[in-house]
Amino acid sequence: MIMPAAVFQQTEIEAEVRAVEAALKPDVVRIIYDLGQDWRDEWAISFRVVLSDEAAHLRLRESANNVERRLAERLDFPRLGVFAYHNFRSDSEQKHLRDKAWA
Amino acid sequence: MAYADDLLKDAYHLAGRGGKNPRQSGLRRAVSTAYYAAFHLFIADFVAHWRTPEQRVRLGRMFEHRRMSGAVLQIHDKHKPTPVEAELMVLIDKFTQLQRDRNAADYDTGRIWSRIEVTQTLDRAGEILTAWRRVRGDKSAQDHLLSMFGARH
Repeated sequence: MIMPAAVFQQTEIEAEVRAVEAALKPDVVRIIYDLGQDWRDEWAISFRVVLSDEAAHLRLRESANNVERRLAERLDFPRLGVFAYHNFRSDSEQKHLRDKAWA
Repeated sequence: MAYADDLLKDAYHLAGRGGKNPRQSGLRRAVSTAYYAAFHLFIADFVAHWRTPEQRVRLGRMFEHRRMSGAVLQIHDKHKPTPVEAELMVLIDKFTQLQRDRNAADYDTGRIWSRIEVTQTLDRAGEILTAWRRVRGDKSAQDHLLSMFGARH
């Protein structure tokens, strides 16, 4: 199995994700991600982004696009050999759902 | 209103049901329905060129989900994509994500969906519909549609 560059650059990825998270506060509460193979058996990085309630309810599209753009600016996904997936939910939803995958 | 728009409207309706405690079944159906809005828009455009209307449904059935997102966009100059090619790149990424979400909604019963997550997925489907209608007349868009169908370069 051929590993993508992302597998060997996880320290750098972690640093860049935390930088985006910090830069986009308070709209972004936290960013969780994992690296693996997707349903097509292609390598992918899946971001789960918890947004503040205000960002999620008042400007969801703008906030989501902003997070996606900032992550793409700092992480060169084609060079890392991964496809990037992004999913979003609000802080209050996550508190209600208590979903471990998003904690 | 086109079938794709009806499907997307249905998806928003499904996502909005259930007040503060939406059922997972409704949220999952919303994601799946939004995916099919985009799926059927592509198929409708492709089969519209087929001269015999009664054969278009059969032709549409030949589309395969996996092949559609696996199609590689042919860019004339990779260092300087045209505006349409750049828009197609974004559209393809959004469609791939939508396809992954639909797959999870239909088959990953352990995954929990929230309304915001689903709404954002539906918004993404809407962006795909809008973007495709903007570029569909361009040769590079039609070339890519052929690739999504499985035609080789």
